[in-house]
Amino acid sequence: MASKVTVIGTGNFGSTVAFILAMRGSCHEVILRGRNVNVAKGKALDMSQAANAAREHTIVRAAEGPEDIAGSEIVVITAGAPRTPGMSRDDLLVKNADIVKNYALEIKKYAPDAIVVVVSNPLDVMTYVVHKYTGFPRERILGMAGILDAARMAHFIYEKLGYGAGQIRATVMGGHGDTMVPLPKFTTVAGVPIDDLLDSEEIGEIVQKTRNGGAQIVNLLGDGSAYYAPAKSTAVMVDAILKDTKQIHSCAVMLKGEYGYSDMVSGVPVMIGAEGAEQIIEMTLKTLQKTRFKNSIASVAEMVDILYSNGFFDDCNNKKSGKK
Amino acid sequence: MKSRKVGIVGAGAVGATAAYTLAMMGTCHEIVLFDIAEGVAKGKAIDMAQASYYSAQGTIITAAENASDIKDCDIVVVTAGVPRKGDMTRADLLMINAKITKQVVENIKENSPDAIIICVSNPLDVMTYVTKQITGWDNNRIIGLAGALDGSRMAYQIQKLTGYAANQTGSLVIGDHGENMIPLPQKISVGDIPLTELVSKEAMEGIIERTKFGGAEIVKHLGTSGYYGPGRAIAHMVEAILNDSKAIVSCCTILNGEYGYSDVAVGVPIVLGANGVEKIIELELDSETEEKFKVSVNSIQDGIDILKENNFFS
Repeated sequence: MASKVTVIGTGNFGSTVAFILAMRGSCHEVILRGRNVNVAKGKALDMSQAANAAREHTIVRAAEGPEDIAGSEIVVITAGAPRTPGMSRDDLLVKNADIVKNYALEIKKYAPDAIVVVVSNPLDVMTYVVHKYTGFPRERILGMAGILDAARMAHFIYEKLGYGAGQIRATVMGGHGDTMVPLPKFTTVAGVPIDDLLDSEEIGEIVQKTRNGGAQIVNLLGDGSAYYAPAKSTAVMVDAILKDTKQIHSCAVMLKGEYGYSDMVSGVPVMIGAEGAEQIIEMTLKTLQKTRFKNSIASVAEMVDILYSNGFFDDCNNKKSGKK
Repeated sequence: MKSRKVGIVGAGAVGATAAYTLAMMGTCHEIVLFDIAEGVAKGKAIDMAQASYYSAQGTIITAAENASDIKDCDIVVVTAGVPRKGDMTRADLLMINAKITKQVVENIKENSPDAIIICVSNPLDVMTYVTKQITGWDNNRIIGLAGALDGSRMAYQIQKLTGYAANQTGSLVIGDHGENMIPLPQKISVGDIPLTELVSKEAMEGIIERTKFGGAEIVKHLGTSGYYGPGRAIAHMVEAILNDSKAIVSCCTILNGEYGYSDVAVGVPIVLGANGVEKIIELELDSETEEKFKVSVNSIQDGIDILKENNFFS
């Protein structure tokens, strides 16, 4: 029965996830695990007090060390470094993989029964890293991607339509990034297919905006990236697991033959319940979507290969066979 | 982790309203309804399942064909029992309902061996005791609906009298879930203000009296017992357990030395969490309340003794 969720990373993203869970009383205890224990403690206190104002029972506590995550039903990994000047994309990739790897090992040791929700970027690759280093069954590792991308797409659809906010169900597959695969065919407003409401040009515009949704916010903020929609999307996943809702959401999971791919992580529709990604749903894709999905997989595979060729997985027992 | 599943035995007004409330709140993934009158359970389950299209979580509601289909539940709510009719004596009613409870509970023990049982059948405190005896489970897994409902009825009286927001009003009712119940409005607050600061002593007495007859007042108008209040109060208890909220709720529980009594079920404030009764809170009672509590416990003990004399437990 649900009671404890750990959020790793106490930046805007992790803090907002914890805050949403506390305001909803989703679980009895939220543990904040961050490098700076004092920051985690301060935020935990602030949120615990807010929970009382909201008349909710959730207690937020800071982890003093890794052992404090023990007993977590769910661990959310939001930790990661931002790209700093002079850093190459590959440098950032290896650096974040290293951070995520250490937390994955920590989870394996101290919370071996937890379900892991990964949100660190690049999302699909980091989800892959968590797989390799925890060795958990794949249903217990979910990357947050499609829910956020779908929320963004729904927002842009609303902007265009001017009605139906909250009733728009969008579906986005594939990698979380430039290669995402929005599926307007599976997108409805209160059950009405989107192509009955908008023409293909308008839909194309919305798809393009969705792809750039994250970047748009980064540009506006000037310093940092979005965290309200990402955190809410993460909380949706946590709630779905804790409440065993069996809702279908797009999440990044390890593929084992589904859609024709194996040993690779990508965003696909899954049924989320108490056991995690309880079922992967294979949809019929059109040729164009298949091609896009293939490109998406290829871009993730490319980054995974960079990690392999940097010797990142050398100490990993579960590394892909045939790789050094 | 397994599915969050709640079983409800008895699909009458109280059981069905509890199920509907849970479904609309999205507290669990699955609800299974059972009633001896199979059509009733099935019809209501289908109706609710269709309503849950508009709820937050889309809870699944099904009807059990047999009592044994109340399987692998986290919580089972027992609302089965008959009302007192015509020339039935108190002892007759006790024996009839104890036998129904026994049958229901034996099924739960077999098919949902890890469940927490919420007992709602009347006379509530005695039936909670029967449930404990038949299951032999730890005390923390057997809970009776009492103060959660009586307390909401008290809060209603206070709201009517003061006009302040009902959801800021505390609630505390201990003792049996019957004519000797002990509403304690003098101990609670509205917002942060002790009720003693807000109403006169006479008004306090009025709140106590009207709370005690809160159930009867509804019967007077409706011709039958209330079920919205009970249904929502049950949902509150289920939610506290499933969400592990460690909320303080007055409930009927088996005492083991607390308040000076043992081997009897009576209403006191408890902490409700994933393990059911996580803690029994021992209030400090003044001598007058202590005396009332004694009368209340004795009235429950009388009921248990009637069952013992009729060799119910042997």
